[in-house]
Amino acid sequence: MSIAIEIKDIRKNYKDAWSPALDGFSFYVKPNQVAGLLGPNGAGKTTCINILCGLIKPDSGTAAIGGKDCIKDKAAIRSMIGMVPQQIALFGELTAMENFRYIGKLYGLENYKIKTHTQYLLGRLGLEKHANKRINAYSGGMKRRANIIASLLHEPELLILDEPTAGVDVQSRAMILEFLKEYRLQGKTILYTSHLMDEAEQICDEVVIIDEGRFIISGTPGDLIKNTTDCKRLEDVFLHFTGRSVRD
Amino acid sequence: MKKITATIIKEWQLMRRDISGLLLLLVMPAALIIVMALIQDAPFKDYQELRFDLLLADNDHGRLARQITDGLKQSKNFRIVDSIDGKPVTEQVVTKLLGDGKYKIGIVIPSGVTAEIVNSANIVVNDISRKTGMDARLPIRGMREQIYIHLYFDPVSKPAFRTAISSALDKYIAYSCSNILMQRLAMLSNDSNPASDTGNQENLRKVMQGICVKEEPLSDKAKYTQHLSSVQHNVPAWAIFGMFFIIIPIAGHMIREREDGSALRISLIPSAASYVAMGKIIFYTFICALQFMLMLCIGLWAMPLFGLPALFPGLHSWLLLPIAISIGFAATAYGFLVGTLFKTINQALPFGSVSIVILSAIGGIWVPVGILPHTMQLMAMASPLHWSLEAVNQVILRNGDLSSVMPAISILLISGAAFWLASILINNRRGNIA
Repeated sequence: MSIAIEIKDIRKNYKDAWSPALDGFSFYVKPNQVAGLLGPNGAGKTTCINILCGLIKPDSGTAAIGGKDCIKDKAAIRSMIGMVPQQIALFGELTAMENFRYIGKLYGLENYKIKTHTQYLLGRLGLEKHANKRINAYSGGMKRRANIIASLLHEPELLILDEPTAGVDVQSRAMILEFLKEYRLQGKTILYTSHLMDEAEQICDEVVIIDEGRFIISGTPGDLIKNTTDCKRLEDVFLHFTGRSVRD
Repeated sequence: MKKITATIIKEWQLMRRDISGLLLLLVMPAALIIVMALIQDAPFKDYQELRFDLLLADNDHGRLARQITDGLKQSKNFRIVDSIDGKPVTEQVVTKLLGDGKYKIGIVIPSGVTAEIVNSANIVVNDISRKTGMDARLPIRGMREQIYIHLYFDPVSKPAFRTAISSALDKYIAYSCSNILMQRLAMLSNDSNPASDTGNQENLRKVMQGICVKEEPLSDKAKYTQHLSSVQHNVPAWAIFGMFFIIIPIAGHMIREREDGSALRISLIPSAASYVAMGKIIFYTFICALQFMLMLCIGLWAMPLFGLPALFPGLHSWLLLPIAISIGFAATAYGFLVGTLFKTINQALPFGSVSIVILSAIGGIWVPVGILPHTMQLMAMASPLHWSLEAVNQVILRNGDLSSVMPAISILLISGAAFWLASILINNRRGNIA
């Protein structure tokens, strides 16, 4: 089963913020796609992801995953999604295996399932030799990969990644992107945010550009490049629509 | 249940790798218990158990001085020093040596004090004989102004110590005066029958000792009631103090998990947060109970190695387990509240530590609540450490049974539930990920 994401006219204002984080933002991600949510710093990407995960409530508008409301059906939504946050959301003093065993148990998975699935993911993301090392002893790239594994233990239909390759070396980045493509081939939907346009161009079926909480444009990377004047890369398209001024 | 067990295992894995945290929880309270019990051993001892050198300047050399000296010598409290380097102690020597802090107490008996008491007794006896128609006439002279036996103390002596010593001396002086009076009365009756002298004096001694004060136990079980000693106070008091320091690792872990994102991970797992919280509460409550039991073991077996008495755990020592669990629950829930209230470890840890010190001070951990001012005694009711100590004291000092500790246990459980509820409310209000 593959699921779609639908966000309609979402508004969100944080207390003491001088402008809305999301200002009537809408977008749709088709099932079994890799969608890139791209925007400069403070554009509203993380707020959008947090609303989809039911972590924060929008002031107005609706957000749904697989037809279920993200606020009203939190439990159902959370069992469908795997979220890879920007932070390394793991217990640093535990080994990778201890982390995965604990997280798997909290998802209600049986021991054998945790074991077999973890072994597959560790092998696929090149961490099998380091499974019994503490997360704190991992390099930045290893931590990122372990962070992804922890989000996939329950085999979610939708994987949401918030800048999953930030601060990792070229090899780790290549491995992660390769894995995401493979994961998509299993019929899963992926929503992904990044500042790295070449990366988005490489793996996304469709990108949505967001700025100052508003929808700017969406389409396949190829279409966006083709249809925007003087643009040869996705980065050119991005700068064309979001401008060159530095964001706070 | 699997989720709770998984959380307990995870907390244990985290704790056993945090050596400094474990040391804080186990070794520090143990060291605190031993050191405090040793330091406070002397102040907690009854004066009867202590022995002081007492300087005596006897300018009277009469019967009163002799009886006071004999009385003080019979008491285990004092060792009489009436000469130094072969020279008799004088008032000047007493004031100098006490001023130098070399002695704690000095007594100066003025010259002629025995003669004055004998004269007073003779006046009384003559008065009685005149009223009863007898013609006894003991020699008398005019009465002098009041005579004082001078008592000197080292300036650093505590008021309670001074009062105790003054009372003891008053007792000896009163006894000596009565004795002299009785002897004069006996002489009056001996005028008519000298052979009965010994019998009369013996009767008078019995009359004097006929009404005495004797401490009795409240009931049979109270025969085992313990006096508040250094060990009986310090072992439970500092064990409780150490238990509440569980808030440091709890609050620290909570804040760290929020900062590093692992709390976010938990909150993204459907309905995991409540199981995780329950697992943590059970784990840390168990750690607290274990910590308390270890401290009791130190009281039972390690204290005698330091020359202190062993802890007496009471006749219903099994009650210490539910008490330890209740204290552990209150301490753990307080840790959750501190971990929820503060956003950074730098804020939480100093607040947590200082709040425990304050709650312990008003709760009677440092000094028994009974000797605090009334307002402080009322404030003590607000400290969970007070109810913790109250519950333990009921068992180890008063041999209390389940019904006597239930009020304190209930208050601890209610306090824990209140801390817990407050942390949930604050968390929901702030939208924290826990």
